[in-house]
Amino acid sequence: MTQPTRSDEPIWWALFSAGGVCFAVLIPGLILTLAIAYPLGLLPENALDYAQIRQWLFSDYWGLAGLVLVGAGLCLPLFHAMHRVHHGMHDLMLRAGGWGKVLCYGSASLLSVLALYFWYLGLSAS
Amino acid sequence: MSEPRQVNRAYQSQLRRNWWLKHGYYQRYMLREATVLPLLFFCGCLLTGLYSLQHSEQSWLNWLAFMATPWVIGLNLLTFFASLFHAKTFFELFPRVLPILPAPLMIAGQWLGTLSVALLLALLLGGVL
Amino acid sequence: MQKTLVIQRYNPEQDHKPHPQHFTVPCDDSTSVLDALLYIQQQLDPTLAFRWSCRMAICGSCGVMVNGIPKLGCKTFLRDYKDDITVEALAHFATEKDLISDMSVFLTHLQAVKPYLINHDTRPQPHQQTPKQLAKYAKFSNCINCGLCYSACPQFGLNPAFLGPAALTLAQRYNLDSRDQGKAQRMPQLNGKNGVWGCTFVGFCSDVCPKQLDPAAAVNQGKVASAADFVIGIFKP
Repeated sequence: MTQPTRSDEPIWWALFSAGGVCFAVLIPGLILTLAIAYPLGLLPENALDYAQIRQWLFSDYWGLAGLVLVGAGLCLPLFHAMHRVHHGMHDLMLRAGGWGKVLCYGSASLLSVLALYFWYLGLSAS
Repeated sequence: MSEPRQVNRAYQSQLRRNWWLKHGYYQRYMLREATVLPLLFFCGCLLTGLYSLQHSEQSWLNWLAFMATPWVIGLNLLTFFASLFHAKTFFELFPRVLPILPAPLMIAGQWLGTLSVALLLALLLGGVL
Repeated sequence: MQKTLVIQRYNPEQDHKPHPQHFTVPCDDSTSVLDALLYIQQQLDPTLAFRWSCRMAICGSCGVMVNGIPKLGCKTFLRDYKDDITVEALAHFATEKDLISDMSVFLTHLQAVKPYLINHDTRPQPHQQTPKQLAKYAKFSNCINCGLCYSACPQFGLNPAFLGPAALTLAQRYNLDSRDQGKAQRMPQLNGKNGVWGCTFVGFCSDVCPKQLDPAAAVNQGKVASAADFVIGIFKP
């Protein structure tokens, strides 16, 4: 029996798993506060004050909170999501071959870099 | 003389694209996988929010107004429930993949984590902390 | 009491695809699907083909689809079904005749992971093992090779090259065995795209397993092992 080539899945699976933890632990709280409670007026009017949020995410402790938010709230969940999209395409018999993989993990990488860039811009402006 | 009888090979059924609709278990699996679709929407929201925040106060206010549009709130409500469903399935799978402690303890611990994060964020933004 | 079984018949000499045939069988609370099939074969239609042996859920040969779910015929009882019961050959495998599946793919996959103790120690004394060491793999060691998990696994259905739940569970079972030294030989199979990485944790395999092995857990523990092997591989080429 020929020996199969080693799959690169461990990389994507590790990112997927880490993203899954973020999706389960961090995202519910983020949605609840940012996307439901605040828009519905359940939080104080100044809860998402421009200067305050900028200070938290871009100034305090060298913008560490912003980096954590970008990493755990955006980059990892993006890799989580695109990993499931990639396997979902196989489940739905959409045979995209290597291009499907490039498209899925490529878009997750691109958006992650973009998020980090926005954080960096905020950091250098503050 | 009659021709030798043609013998068919074994019958191989082929899976159809809609195989996952055939059984409740598979539907639940697909629902779990589909939780990432609303997640992608929320990631888009966060990304535009981050862009607005580093750009200018006006664009930040525009983003807040966008987040308060009824259809966005609706979609994010869906994302919220999707995240909870994902959390339930993920928390239950975790102790089976890495059986470190008794499963009920690990599941409870993970829910405690989710609850703490939500509470912490609410208190922080509510101005209590 | 009587029940109707709708059996998917397939005769390779005549048919191009399976077709349903209705049989009415007498039954009571203790009648299993296997009992019903035996009744049909002995009293109604001697041409009905199916596999069976032990009648007590240990030989693993009477696996069939009952109302679309993989089951052991001997462990499934007519009393649990209200209406007609559909019986088909195991899904995802080729059907040779009626309820007889071609299990050769499954056997090839089993062979690929070397599911036996590999130990180079040739001394005559027994390989001792503590209860704690036994407990590590014991829950994965009761596989009866019935193949139900393959019929439950859509990933195997989509890609027959996927080694599948039972083979990967057995690989994990021997990798966890303190007496075994064959992990290095098994890992290359597990590390491939048709090894543990073909699994998406649908989890239905664990639901249908008649021995409650939790193959889905074993396969995903295999992913952790394969990921660790991946990292080691980077530093030790």
